[in-house]
Amino acid sequence: MSLYEILGTLETGFIFGIVALGAYLTFQILDFPDLTVEGSFPLGAAVAATLMVNAGWNPWLSTGAAGLAGFCAGYLTAFLNVRFNILHILAGILLAISLYSVNLRIMSGPNKPLLQVDSVFTALEGFGIPGYIINPIFLGVIVLLIKLALDAFLATGWGISMRAAGANPAMAEANGVNVGKMKLYGVGTANALTAIAGALFAQIFGAADAYMGIGVIIVGLASVIVGMSILPSRTIVLATFACLVGAVLYRLAVAVALNADFMGFQASDVQLVTAVLVAIALILQQTGSIFQIFRKGAGK
Amino acid sequence: MISISDIDVTFNKGTPLETRALRGVNLDVPEGQFLTIIGSNGAGKSTCLNVIAGLTKVERGFVKVDDEDVTAWPVYKRSKMLSRVFQDPKMGTCEDLTILENFALAHGRTRPRGFRFAVGPNMRDEAAERLKVLGLGLENRLDDRVGLLSGGQRQAVSLLMAATGDTKVLLLDEHTAALDPKTAEFVLDLTKQIVGELKLTAVMVTHSMAQALHTGERTLMFHRGRIVFDADGAERDKMEVGDLLELFKREQGEELADDSLLLG
Repeated sequence: MSLYEILGTLETGFIFGIVALGAYLTFQILDFPDLTVEGSFPLGAAVAATLMVNAGWNPWLSTGAAGLAGFCAGYLTAFLNVRFNILHILAGILLAISLYSVNLRIMSGPNKPLLQVDSVFTALEGFGIPGYIINPIFLGVIVLLIKLALDAFLATGWGISMRAAGANPAMAEANGVNVGKMKLYGVGTANALTAIAGALFAQIFGAADAYMGIGVIIVGLASVIVGMSILPSRTIVLATFACLVGAVLYRLAVAVALNADFMGFQASDVQLVTAVLVAIALILQQTGSIFQIFRKGAGK
Repeated sequence: MISISDIDVTFNKGTPLETRALRGVNLDVPEGQFLTIIGSNGAGKSTCLNVIAGLTKVERGFVKVDDEDVTAWPVYKRSKMLSRVFQDPKMGTCEDLTILENFALAHGRTRPRGFRFAVGPNMRDEAAERLKVLGLGLENRLDDRVGLLSGGQRQAVSLLMAATGDTKVLLLDEHTAALDPKTAEFVLDLTKQIVGELKLTAVMVTHSMAQALHTGERTLMFHRGRIVFDADGAERDKMEVGDLLELFKREQGEELADDSLLLG
């Protein structure tokens, strides 16, 4: 891999780091497996791109609006679950497929190129450093700031309420925590982060696309699982850091797999590679060693 | 302090499994009283406690706490006035949070929670001081996850947590049943001490007749969804487990089937 490719991998790794922090909030903290992100990632991209291209909005404001749209999507998923007792996974799937239509409406088509408009990365050109170097640095700073904000939030009164709501709902309620409300805001926040990631992704690749959400849930989850299985995650600060490292490592693993000619993969194989990597990570988490499974199988 | 009137609760209504858990139950617990409730399995004692806590919806009747009608209040809202200790030591504390964070969570029960750091500046000393009373050395483990503690330690911590804030009512659901006898005694003594010191109104559900008679100042017995026996003062002081059994037989004209009641 060339330096250029490594920096590109870091770039997407950091963007998916934001998705991973959202996945950490839903899967790990709230114990709410949320599939909405498949829809809220392209939703963020669509909202930001449309606002920038059609309404001429400032890119920062558009990215913020994307976050707000993502929050609403996550809130709706949690609302279906909390208010109407629809299974969380099913509620997420419902939102994700409905967002597919919504995104086509927003963009009035399957994609929206961001040609001739300023993105948040345009502002960085003023530093006189080439984009392929400054962009990953900028994204790294952004994702680190979000991580620190999430760490701080999870130590506040609201934050520990959210953690208790996920870990032990009966105890949380007995201590005056409105568990339903925590799910609404927690899943909302996770999808806001995912949508912001989608908006940034669209700006760096120059287009929003209705299909760009496919596999986002697995990428987010893979980052959390990979990170937490190789790094210590006893405290929140360590766990969120592990998620970020997981996101970068995961992108790196995919890039290496796709780049290695002897493996014969092509770009379209990315989803298959992803699924296999996640399956391996999950198996490792269960057993500690992949060889153990084969031994066990042979023993029977 | 607690007043429930004319409460009906039916589980699985309209199905072959229909059970009438409570039938027209009336109960008044004056402020500062320590009430114990006994009854065989399925008698309605835990259901009664859950009706007060808000976990079980009532079909008919009213629940009042501190002169406020809380019948329609959800659990989390009622918990501003009521604190609970569960039977399962794992339920009363949150194992993913540290001891200190658990205290902070309980601290927020009666106070608004905000976006300030949950563990306030004085909270560490305050929690350490409370934990020191237990003599378990937990005051030196404030930053340990609660999941690392034993069942008895966790139950003691949840008792202390239940007593933080401006709690008025303490609900105890067989909170010593899952502990070994020695730890159970320790937790029961701690309960009596806390209830006495803070002058709490307390309701304790128990399986053990002896425990019911020797704790608190009033004892109720539930059977088939009704209160069949209610004693306090001198009448209760004279009673022994044998008398209670005798009385139960006379009232019901039947033998007690549940062995676990006799063992206590």
